[in-house]
Amino acid sequence: MFKKKVTLKILLLLIACDILETAIHFLFKKSALAQSSVVVVDIATGVEFFKGILVSPFLWAGLFTVVAIFTIWSMVLTKIDLSVAVPIASFSYILVPLVSIIFLHEQITVLRWVGVFFVLIGVILVSLSSKERLEQSK
Amino acid sequence: MKQGLWLVLSLIALTSLCDTVNQLYLKSAIDSLNFTPTFNIIKIFKFIFKLIGMPRLWLGFSFSLISLCIWLIVLSKADLNFAFSADSMHYIFIALASRFVLKEKMSTRRWLGTGLIMVGIVFVSLS
Repeated sequence: MFKKKVTLKILLLLIACDILETAIHFLFKKSALAQSSVVVVDIATGVEFFKGILVSPFLWAGLFTVVAIFTIWSMVLTKIDLSVAVPIASFSYILVPLVSIIFLHEQITVLRWVGVFFVLIGVILVSLSSKERLEQSK
Repeated sequence: MKQGLWLVLSLIALTSLCDTVNQLYLKSAIDSLNFTPTFNIIKIFKFIFKLIGMPRLWLGFSFSLISLCIWLIVLSKADLNFAFSADSMHYIFIALASRFVLKEKMSTRRWLGTGLIMVGIVFVSLS
């Protein structure tokens, strides 16, 4: 068994996964929006819609991002438990509100701050729990 | 209305379950390869190619595809923020599956952390 501690490197990889995942939604949405002039009513227009999407650079950028995420996520899972990796990946619930404030100047309600705080404490506890286990096994 | 709510909730539970199964297959495939993490790009590519050659992984992917289809049905029936907050039950499934299928050791601290994340997500989604 190799070490299973959550290191800063793993945390950064998980955050990269979160950021890329947001990028995927954005890229796919962009590629679909570029085809909004095509109204899908039958098979012919459906084919036209997919033809348009297939040549969209946004779609290919999105698909490339999917592959990148899969690679990063697999690397993370070689190092730590699934029950640690998945909860820590919920980091996006903290990142998205922060980004909305800093870059989009959105208002964040108190309830949302409470939620972000809970997620933050949870992520810290889960990260520490994997260190705890390492110390026990020594 | 009440019946519709239960239908949506069970559909969300079903997508979460399918996602969990996908993660289980992925994790067990990765564990079976016994790969030591490295920053050597060639080794990483070799590892990924070995990984996508495993039937187990594609079984997992098919569950992920089912999950996506059900999720689209859910979104057509429910609000996005309700669907997202209900989807946090996903964390319970992952924790239970890790504990009982992958035999990972879940400490009280890890359960507590997972629980807090779930509560937090419900607050974030509902606000």
